[in-house]
Amino acid sequence: MICKNDPATEFGDKLTHIAAALRMITGLLLSGSVIAAMAQRPDPKDWPAYSGTDNGQRYSPLKQITTANANRLQAKWVYHVDGASGMEQTPVVMNGTMYISQFNRVDAIDARTGNIIWKYERPPASASPQRGTVVYNDKVYMVTSDSHLVTLDARNGGVRWEVKSEGGYVFSGAAPIIARGKVIVSGNRPDGFVQAFDAETGKYAWSWIAVPKSGEPGAETWGGAKPEGGPMWMSGSYDPESNLLYYGTGQPNPQWTGFERLGDNLYTECIVAINADTGKLAWYFQNTPHDTHDWDSTETLVLVDAIFKGQARKLLLQANRNGFYYVLDRTNGEFLLGTPFVSKVDWADGLDSKGRPIVIPGHDPSVRGTTTCPSTAGATNWPAPTYSPDTKYFYVTVAEGCGINFITSSTAPNAGTGYIETSNAPWQAYVRALDATTGKKVWEYKPVRSNHYGPGLLSTAGGIVFTPEQFGQVTALDAKSGKPLWHFNTGDLITASPITYSVDGEQFFAIASGTNVFAFGLQGVSP
Amino acid sequence: MNRALAIAALLLTCAVGSIFAQRGGTVNPFQGNAGAVHDGEGLYSQHCTGCHGPDGSAGEIGPAIVSGERTDFGAADAQVFNTIKNGVPGTPMSPQKLSDEEIWKITAYIHALRGTAIDNPLPGEVAHGEQIFWGKGQCGNCHMLGGKGGLTAPDLNNIAGTRKASTIVDALTKEQHREYASGGAHLKSLPPMGSYLPVHVTTADGKVINGILLNQDGYSLQVIGNDQRLRSFDRAKLRRVDIEPKSLMPTDYDKRLTSGEFKDLLAFLTRQGTKPPSPASGGPLRGDDQ
Repeated sequence: MICKNDPATEFGDKLTHIAAALRMITGLLLSGSVIAAMAQRPDPKDWPAYSGTDNGQRYSPLKQITTANANRLQAKWVYHVDGASGMEQTPVVMNGTMYISQFNRVDAIDARTGNIIWKYERPPASASPQRGTVVYNDKVYMVTSDSHLVTLDARNGGVRWEVKSEGGYVFSGAAPIIARGKVIVSGNRPDGFVQAFDAETGKYAWSWIAVPKSGEPGAETWGGAKPEGGPMWMSGSYDPESNLLYYGTGQPNPQWTGFERLGDNLYTECIVAINADTGKLAWYFQNTPHDTHDWDSTETLVLVDAIFKGQARKLLLQANRNGFYYVLDRTNGEFLLGTPFVSKVDWADGLDSKGRPIVIPGHDPSVRGTTTCPSTAGATNWPAPTYSPDTKYFYVTVAEGCGINFITSSTAPNAGTGYIETSNAPWQAYVRALDATTGKKVWEYKPVRSNHYGPGLLSTAGGIVFTPEQFGQVTALDAKSGKPLWHFNTGDLITASPITYSVDGEQFFAIASGTNVFAFGLQGVSP
Repeated sequence: MNRALAIAALLLTCAVGSIFAQRGGTVNPFQGNAGAVHDGEGLYSQHCTGCHGPDGSAGEIGPAIVSGERTDFGAADAQVFNTIKNGVPGTPMSPQKLSDEEIWKITAYIHALRGTAIDNPLPGEVAHGEQIFWGKGQCGNCHMLGGKGGLTAPDLNNIAGTRKASTIVDALTKEQHREYASGGAHLKSLPPMGSYLPVHVTTADGKVINGILLNQDGYSLQVIGNDQRLRSFDRAKLRRVDIEPKSLMPTDYDKRLTSGEFKDLLAFLTRQGTKPPSPASGGPLRGDDQ
């Protein structure tokens, strides 16, 4: 045993070798092209970030589990996260270790067996869910409830550095992402923002704020009101080729009354492209100008290279909470297509040639209540969609239904509000496969009883769409037909999105359900 | 001169203390005041030890009021003050007939008892202690600190933020030591294994992998190899597993180092960490609006 016999020599020598090897690897990693390639295409056995890859596709090339053998899936292990509630996080996996996070806490477990390896907790103890971490170059990056970015050594949970968010901005629970050696984190307060920090040292690099200051471009779209809002509470996507980050922004404030902020209210309810080196806005596309329904445009942005109308294009896809499915050119933000993906969208009569909604008046919230379809909960929401390059379908959890929005006063700004389900159109969730370049529905799967969005989706090269349901079922669907192949009841509400990974050649699916993380694999592959 | 200054400082502290107490303030005026902590210890021995034990780890009548885990801090200083002053109705904990100043001093002592090493770091030459850590003490061969060192023992980056100074001393000097007040408790969650026992794994083809056991169950082992690689083994595929009964951590540092070196090492170790935010500075928080 090296520590016992002669620690000073043998162990020291080994460490020197390891350190030299690490330096070499780090040197390689620091060349931009290698980083870009690594970031875009991690080893398929790993799931290092919220969406798996930077492109938001939540697709895995793993294909041990296929449509032919999915009926042999079984639960392999369950890990209980004590003190948690309603976990929303996507676990991340690197080299056989899984990292499960809550605010102020990370549990590292053996991804093959579910056995704990280390646990990191930082006061104040918090049971609040957040959406996950990212692991990169032997480090795990997490956000805390008091708005710090903490970097842990992925191997033993030791703190390497921690920094507070810059300028009084407060991080949300979105999982950080990595772009060209920077950690990118976002948040809501006091207004939507993105901040970048050096991934090695934690040095602050830049901020992008979702609403303009007085005199800045976009300030003229607020009718003289102070621009406020644009919360950014979901992870962005990243294209290493163009070095652009893509993020969605939330609603303008006041949230439910628009009469004091006449205009489009830039850059709220937008898809924005931000240069990862400088933090400068490259382009924006506004889904819902002058929103009064809290339809945050924060839904996952999916980057796809595909043939669109006969031409090879770099696309950005989004199923938006406002009911429209969007296809943009991600190099410049050009609007290519927009079409409803739920049966009833009554607030706009389609989109014009630039993608601007042709608004049907009379849908603003009112004291007596105004019915609008989709509801404020949205045609979809934060549950992850997935895109399969095999089927070329965009899979998304949708909620059919309308809502009634109330305000407590028609004259007071920032009046109180509420929204309810309409009694004549009860909400129902579906999983839908859309043709990615036309938005046309190919098939749908109805999770019985689920009346609300909740869990997200995952697609694989094995032809599976892994589909958790709001009320605890997980189902493997045939990606081509939507036919269920296998199911399992996890026994708790699911509000998280699934992942897949492999350890020693065995493929797993994993999902957080309530206070537990479940892992599934094929019967007979490994005990 | 010094004596006069000290008296002046004491008088001022007392005056401030009584103002806070009179206002029912929530800040302990004696927080971190070594003299007050000393006075508090005397008062504690007189009034509290009988029920709560000499070190706050429970007695025959009263519950433990000190825990080894930093995150277990139940009550803020103001709550401790109120409990001592007003008692807990329906229990043997009666209101204590003490002045506010005396109660704040006891509170300061309890706070110090609860604090980890970073609150009460031990004296010595810190820079020399760091040399001992990486040099003669050979601590870095197995432990990691600031991203340097080995992976076959716990990371010590926040050791002073999570352990008491006395626990750190015990770990370096006693074969049988345990984390303060954490033994025998009903666990609320799955802890990491924490024993870091050497393990020798023989695979089916006869290859031997030596390392440290991080976790195990009847079917698998989680091992950090001496090559610093983390491995998960399926027991069914192994020929043999040998786990040594004792960790490689030497427990004679008070003998293998000179007393000066040992003192300086402790001064260094009891400063490795960060003070956690006070309970009032942040609570559970939901990070977004959906």
